[in-house]
Amino acid sequence: MRTLRKDLRRNRHIYMMIAPVVMYFGLFYYLPIYGVQIAFKQYSIMEGIWNSPWIGFKHFSDFFGGYYFDRTLRNTLLISLYDIVFGFPAPIILALLLNEVGRKHFRNLVQTLTYMPHFISVVVVVGMMFDFLARGGIINQLTSSIGLGTVSYLQSPEWFRTLYVGSGIWQQIGWGSIIYIAAITGIDPTLYEAARVDGAGRWSQMLRITLPGIMPTIIILLILRLGNVMNVGYEKILLMYTPVVYETSDVISTYVYRKGILDGSFDYSSAVGLFNSVVNLVLLVCANSLSRRASGSSIW
Amino acid sequence: MNNKHVTSSKLRKLTVLMIAVLAFVAVLSGCSDKNEAANSSPGGSSGASSEATSSSSPVASEQPANGTEAEALPIVSEPLTLTYFTQLAANAAPVVKDYNEIAAYQELEKRTGIHIEWKHPVAGQEAQQLSLMMASGNPTDIIEYNWTDGYPGGAAKAIAEGNAIRLNELIDQYAPNFKKLLEEHPEYKKMITNDDGDIYAFPFLRGDPSLLTSAGLWIRQDWLDKLGLKMPVTVEDWHTVLKAFKEQDPNGNGKADELPFNFGQPNANKFWFDRTSAFIGAWGIGTGFYQENSQVKYGAIQPEFKSFLQTLQTWYKEGLIDPDYALTDSKAMDAKITGNLLGAGFASIGGGIGRLYQLMADIDPSYKVLGAPLPVLEEGDTLQLMQRDFPYTGLGASITAANKHPIETVKWMDYKYGEAGSLLMNFGIEGVSYNMVDGNPQYTEAVTKAPDNLSFAQALSKYALPAANGAFVQDKRYFDQFAGLPIQQESMKNWMQGGTEKMMPPVSVTADESARFASVMNDVNTYIAEMFDKFVMGSEPIENFDKYVKTLKSMGIDDAISIEQAALDRYNSRP
Repeated sequence: MRTLRKDLRRNRHIYMMIAPVVMYFGLFYYLPIYGVQIAFKQYSIMEGIWNSPWIGFKHFSDFFGGYYFDRTLRNTLLISLYDIVFGFPAPIILALLLNEVGRKHFRNLVQTLTYMPHFISVVVVVGMMFDFLARGGIINQLTSSIGLGTVSYLQSPEWFRTLYVGSGIWQQIGWGSIIYIAAITGIDPTLYEAARVDGAGRWSQMLRITLPGIMPTIIILLILRLGNVMNVGYEKILLMYTPVVYETSDVISTYVYRKGILDGSFDYSSAVGLFNSVVNLVLLVCANSLSRRASGSSIW
Repeated sequence: MNNKHVTSSKLRKLTVLMIAVLAFVAVLSGCSDKNEAANSSPGGSSGASSEATSSSSPVASEQPANGTEAEALPIVSEPLTLTYFTQLAANAAPVVKDYNEIAAYQELEKRTGIHIEWKHPVAGQEAQQLSLMMASGNPTDIIEYNWTDGYPGGAAKAIAEGNAIRLNELIDQYAPNFKKLLEEHPEYKKMITNDDGDIYAFPFLRGDPSLLTSAGLWIRQDWLDKLGLKMPVTVEDWHTVLKAFKEQDPNGNGKADELPFNFGQPNANKFWFDRTSAFIGAWGIGTGFYQENSQVKYGAIQPEFKSFLQTLQTWYKEGLIDPDYALTDSKAMDAKITGNLLGAGFASIGGGIGRLYQLMADIDPSYKVLGAPLPVLEEGDTLQLMQRDFPYTGLGASITAANKHPIETVKWMDYKYGEAGSLLMNFGIEGVSYNMVDGNPQYTEAVTKAPDNLSFAQALSKYALPAANGAFVQDKRYFDQFAGLPIQQESMKNWMQGGTEKMMPPVSVTADESARFASVMNDVNTYIAEMFDKFVMGSEPIENFDKYVKTLKSMGIDDAISIEQAALDRYNSRP
């Protein structure tokens, strides 16, 4: 107890610095857990969270038996999967490429240009997509001028995932690469010298030194990403989708949004949200233990 | 060395402190922002209302003419502030940020002594923000909302949830004007009472049949003239006309770039087809719930709906419908109109037909649109469904259970149903926005010829807001001046041909049924929105209509119909 007090006094500035973070997580992540119980209740605003009657797993069985369960689950998983397969490696590749660029100015230019889109609000990005991809938009003018005809991209269910994942890569590739560039900088330069002495070319330097050097970072980020499989960026989907493309674009979070916020069934949407979180947690734990066993790097 | 160490550790301390202070300031400023906003709005309005004082005092002195005991003004001796949740009307939004900037409400505050703090939800997010407000457990004193249509569970649930209270007794005691109105118009009373016999809101009412039709189809009259075509009457006529628009280059630029018909984004097209009954009415059904001799039916599962979809699909295939209709929001629609591309569409009378003229006045003086009669299947048919709202559309101002001053609130509401209050809400300030001519209020040039290119509706919004919301009775004399263009009058006449017996009155479902109803209709609406576009665009063959109906049945549409049926039965048996 005394040591704790002493520690508190000695490091008070550090504690002060961490206090807002702790408060943030406490207020916005731990406190709301109290409300999770309404997933098992017939929630009535007048009765309040505590006094609403219990109804067990009814909301869950309604959700699993609902007409849109299969489709929203499939869409969520597929969009997430595409995002991991194509979106996750993209910044790594960019970082590796940038690392090989000799000229500093060019490298800085590319870096700046690629991470600029990160600062554009998603509303604007979707607005740009609507303009560029419209029937009279620049993309269709280009394709029709070389005789490929026009496609109504935003009304075609088969294009939705490509557009979603593609625009995501465009927007986040530069920003995402920063952490890998930092990790590459942290690799001991003597390793490269030794490799050059041993006659390794740039390709094998990259494969045998750079990539293994940033592997722990990659794995940690991948594990974290897997813990978010069920959370796709629903704000962007809400902006992008129309009923014509529901078939491929309606995901669990947009469904929850329509049910919970627009229809006011808070209890039902909490149940769906809880289901989401549980799946995420399971995936995170699995990915972590797999990675610990396979490569030794893990979050805990 | 030692010295340097000291400075650097001092520096570090200082930095840490500064960051901590900064974080703290950031938190504080977050709070103070809110206070400022709360403080500034009454301040701003009091400044503005004193400006209006001088001009409007004569009206205030005429006041006690219809004096009853409750009319004693001001209503409160101590200043009282009430909070009021309502949408910022689209016409008002460009002109005012807050209803306290509207002269009528400033004057109302001066007369009654009650200050209103307006909470305007972001446009298009009313439902969401109401839900959030409910979830926060801190509702405003007054909530104005569409209780029969937009509120999951309807009025009964609103009362159960504390967003409304039973008003019958309060009205009897403290609302002489409103009480008188209900006695004169028992049909109003029937509409605003829920099935338990509770009056739950002070309604926005349209006081005259001519105010109830306000939207329909429009068509480019100048294109018709140019191509020597008659105003289309039947659905087949429409096909001919739209095809001519497509093929005969009515905009005269040598390219077949005309978009004959566009009905807007999915939410909008359901709204338009359903609200105006255009086209769909030709088949004698609506898209949603309608009645046939007190028998509730759902339009989107009727066999006639298939034929309606089939027609739209054919038109779409022939390029008669804008292929991008599903992506056309109001901004894109304006662009297509001003680009001289669009041949026909949906519009309301003022914000639509009137506005089209304004948009095009500078671009093309020969531009002429006209409201088209709602089509029928065979020439000589009478349309069984037309567009006519009920005097009460469900929009009303409730008093929440959280309101600590229900009596004062009722008196404040009631004032607006009285003669003086009604003039104020419909016409604004005498001498400023209207003058009495032979006993009839006439808008002044401040409204009719407003500077800054403001439309009539926008200019009027500075003084009064008779068209959008608020709890009072809309005056016919407003509309006669508002839709005064000959073209608007003619459009109205075209739109008013047809029957209304099949329309559903504003029924309400019980709190018990509402959960089931909402959950069914959520899935159903999602599914129909999606399938409607697929059928129209042809990505779903029309042969699958039966499968589509079967899916809707599996979602429980029959349950929803019987819930509506029960609601209609209860409505019909209301006294």
